[in-house]
Amino acid sequence: MLGEFEYLLITAAAGLGGKAYSVAIRKEIEVTTGRRCSIGALYTTIDRLETKGLLKTWMSDATPQRGGRAKRMVRVTPKGVQAAKDFYDAVTRVSRGASWAVNRTGGGS
Amino acid sequence: MGGEPDRGRVMTSARWPLVEAAARLLERHEREAVLGDLLETGEGAWQGLLEVLGLVVRRQLSHWKNWQPWLAVFGLALPGSLVLMAVSVSVSSVYERLINDRILIGSSHATHDGFLQLLCRGLLLVGCSWACGFVMGSLSRRTLWVSIASSCFACLFCLVRFGEPSLSRLCLFIFLVPAIWGVRQALRLIRITLASAIVLAIAITALMILPPNSRGLWTLNWSLVWPAWYIVATAQRSARKVGRN
Repeated sequence: MLGEFEYLLITAAAGLGGKAYSVAIRKEIEVTTGRRCSIGALYTTIDRLETKGLLKTWMSDATPQRGGRAKRMVRVTPKGVQAAKDFYDAVTRVSRGASWAVNRTGGGS
Repeated sequence: MGGEPDRGRVMTSARWPLVEAAARLLERHEREAVLGDLLETGEGAWQGLLEVLGLVVRRQLSHWKNWQPWLAVFGLALPGSLVLMAVSVSVSSVYERLINDRILIGSSHATHDGFLQLLCRGLLLVGCSWACGFVMGSLSRRTLWVSIASSCFACLFCLVRFGEPSLSRLCLFIFLVPAIWGVRQALRLIRITLASAIVLAIAITALMILPPNSRGLWTLNWSLVWPAWYIVATAQRSARKVGRN
């Protein structure tokens, strides 16, 4: 089972598709959660997920806007998609009947 | 992260070299990506430095989730250095006695025994130090600096407490030469064949048991034997892997 931050990272990377790389993922996580995401947390989590086979990373060509330095590109693997789906299903199931979840969907009495 | 990135300002900041220096503690690819990220987002140099150091600390801590760095520090660097310093002093005192015997007594029988003792202890010191260094280097490549710092701490401790007036303090550190050689060979990923590993382990064990050594050395010195047998075990594992492939 994924951790919360791992899920956020996989979801952000999946949403960015072919444009998923460290800075874009970090920005996406910070904008959606409103929380600061450190480079340390991001890179160590990317490594962990790659070791588990949930992500694939590679270095892109160097770009001038990064001072001639390469980007670390990220792609979610099918295994990663399945793990994120399992996490989402588990959260949805466990949230069923919770007051905040009921109010949000508007299905409460 | 918010605001327009100002790469030029970040790169020309007087503190940027600090960020680059800290990033040297990361692996090459990661350093490249992290510095690029910092330039792209235009974060201030101090913030960048904190980000890089945060990643370095996380990377270092992650190595300690394995047992190997712990064994390298607490099973080799600290106790190994202490015992090897004792063996170094022992070799030096045998040498000194031998020299004194030759000058004062001139007896060939006494010098013959002395030579044998010196040879056995010297070989034991070289073999054990090399094996300890080699195992320390292969166990903890990425945390080697902690093992080296622990070894330096042990050396400093003994240097301060050294109280043998007839011997130079430098004799404590004879073991460092073969130990550093062992570490260097481990870092160069030198592969030890099973046959040479067995020869080394048997030689060290035999030298530990033989009378010229067993008299003067402590039972604690047995802690120096395991690295040689560890090399045998790893050489055997590599040989099996090669056989399977």
